[in-house]
Amino acid sequence: MGYRAENLMRLAKSMAPTFLGFLGVLLLAMPLRLFEGWVPTPIIPLVVIFFWSIYGPDLMPSVGVFFIGLLQDLLMGGPFGLWAVVYLAVQYIVLSQRSYFIGREQLVVLIGFALAAASASLMLWLVMSLMSGALLPVWPLIFQMAATVAIYPLFAAAFSELHRRVLVEA
Amino acid sequence: MEYLGQDRREGLGRKSAPRFVLVLLILISVLLLLSSLYSAQASVFKKAREGVIDAAAPMLELVAGPVAYVNELFGYVGDYFRVLEQNEALREENAELRQWMQDALELRTIVASYEGLQTYQAPPEALPIDAFVIGEANDAFSRSMIVNAGRARNVETGQAVVDENGLIGRIVHTGANASRVLLLTDIQSRVPVYIEGADAEGILVGNTRKKPVIDIVAGADDVAPAPGQRVLTSGAGGALPRGLPVGVVDRVSGGDIVIGLYADYVRTRMVRIINYEFPDPDDAAALSSSDVMAQELVEAGVGAEGVGPAPVQASIPVQAPVSTSVSAPASAIAVALPTDG
Repeated sequence: MGYRAENLMRLAKSMAPTFLGFLGVLLLAMPLRLFEGWVPTPIIPLVVIFFWSIYGPDLMPSVGVFFIGLLQDLLMGGPFGLWAVVYLAVQYIVLSQRSYFIGREQLVVLIGFALAAASASLMLWLVMSLMSGALLPVWPLIFQMAATVAIYPLFAAAFSELHRRVLVEA
Repeated sequence: MEYLGQDRREGLGRKSAPRFVLVLLILISVLLLLSSLYSAQASVFKKAREGVIDAAAPMLELVAGPVAYVNELFGYVGDYFRVLEQNEALREENAELRQWMQDALELRTIVASYEGLQTYQAPPEALPIDAFVIGEANDAFSRSMIVNAGRARNVETGQAVVDENGLIGRIVHTGANASRVLLLTDIQSRVPVYIEGADAEGILVGNTRKKPVIDIVAGADDVAPAPGQRVLTSGAGGALPRGLPVGVVDRVSGGDIVIGLYADYVRTRMVRIINYEFPDPDDAAALSSSDVMAQELVEAGVGAEGVGPAPVQASIPVQAPVSTSVSAPASAIAVALPTDG
């Protein structure tokens, strides 16, 4: 490969996780209505941000996280900046615990993800309840986070392959 | 298989960018959040939202078709197991609807005869804009949909959106080719409604639950709303046209009137945006004054027979201010002419 093509490849690789995050946001905006609306759409961007904050923080820059959050806020019509705060806070928590998770078995990482999702939920619920001036029902949020945690192993396996075979391939 | 991250280049040796960027961005987002709380309608945010809706619309539209197809193929699996029951239910409903049809046909003739009366003035007609749902906020706390009609098709912020069941929400952001519908269940949704039969007006407030509640009620105290009564938009405040079906009173518990919506958001695919304009108060005043004039014309015509030119002269100033309705001056002349001869 020529010098320029190599540079382009490197750029594409470093942008890939952020791009996946954007795709996850778009998925959230689609009228999927899984099983007649009984299964909420999982929050894929949360998986993307969590995964690459552990295994490749240089591939998941904070600016990318910020813009993923902003895009989600704009597309969902919620308060501007809410998801950006949530995603960045998740990244902050994950980065501070990163050395613990690296090289651990997937079950440990999954529990870590569940904890991260729980803290994100708490933030979301607090802010939205404050905004609406009443305590909002927590069940829709718990269902959605449960769906996200449930699909985590699947997506983590796929992302592992992507990370191992494509992104860190020299 | 070894676990990911054990190899140095798979994660262990990878360093993140300096932490202060992250902290700075968190601060910026918090500031954005606070500022959006205090200036929700700021034009910058609005422009950004409309821009994003417009940018995402082609992609969403592209996948909306296949998504709907797959949904219909697999989504309603339960339907296959309930075909007989549903068939039975539909047959019963059909029989009931036939009776309603007869009633409606009868009513139509009665209404037509009333409309034939000279004093009747048709309310301004609503122009429907049909659109497909191409997006939806799959968020635990936001309830909104994105539809594929925008400013290019005269969609404006504030217009009511209905589907085949009833009111589903109203337009809050309008892009060039797509707009956002705020559903009745969203926490930001406030819709003035009235309860048929209970003589009570109130505001329907969304709370992310399936069944919103009516919050402020103004009406006769002695008539309490009862379950099963219809809830319709009241048109108060000039936001939505009056009389759009919203739902039925589900239950009344502790001062809260809980409403079961007609809209079934899981099945909403096609919607109709109602481009409705309330008659301008000035026009309305002109209309009523023309009524009075028509009345005077009639009296004049009846009182003084054979005075030909007088009514025609009088009808000229009537015609000028009235643009919405032609019926008033026409009827004035129609009344005046026979008395002439």
